[in-house]
Amino acid sequence: MTDRLHLRLAPETDSVTTLLDALEAYTDAQALPISAASRLMLLADELAANVIMHAHGATFLAAELSREAETLRFTLTDDGPEYDPLRRGAANTQGSVEEREIGGLGVHFVEQLATTAEYRRADGHNILSITLDAGAE
Amino acid sequence: MQITQSQAGALQVATLEGRLDTATAGAAEAQLMALLAPPGLVLDLTNVRYVSPAGLRTLLKLAKEARTKSASFSLVGLQPAVREVFEISGFDKIIPAFGTLAEATA
Repeated sequence: MTDRLHLRLAPETDSVTTLLDALEAYTDAQALPISAASRLMLLADELAANVIMHAHGATFLAAELSREAETLRFTLTDDGPEYDPLRRGAANTQGSVEEREIGGLGVHFVEQLATTAEYRRADGHNILSITLDAGAE
Repeated sequence: MQITQSQAGALQVATLEGRLDTATAGAAEAQLMALLAPPGLVLDLTNVRYVSPAGLRTLLKLAKEARTKSASFSLVGLQPAVREVFEISGFDKIIPAFGTLAEATA
């Protein structure tokens, strides 16, 4: 059983299925609690979808996942135009059905579910790295 | 994502199975929109272990459309991880969720 996952994907919507299938297999193999697995998949899904929607011109999307003790580290890299998904405003989570906007939830989830989140631009790549608690029940 | 259609009294019931994620939300939305009509639609999520933000957006669109059509829209059988996502997004305050189908149709 490996504790490191590396995937290189095409920046298209179908890749999200490949990514989530791989993460599901990983979290099953690691016997992660369902909540930790769900949080990881949710953030990976949203952040990958962000890249696919916004990184026009990207030729690849790479996902890396590793575990050190009780910390999961998930990193997404793409070669699209500079885009920091963490700089978008947080969503309205208090309003009525009519007031809610379709979108903007991604940053809110990162803030609520990730332990740390960091974006950097290096060598023409967007690199987004988050850490999560592997023991979250 | 599998969607099975049934009825409980006058309400349409859609039973979902699988992941409601970025890749499946679009097709699920089209199918569920077609089922949404007065008096209302209940989604049974007992066999959905994961709902992504894209899935939440689909549910929000359905809730908005239900208001427009004066139809009810509710959920049953949220699994703990799905419930957590609902609470964090504040969706638990805007979309009614019930433990069982009997409660949703009462």
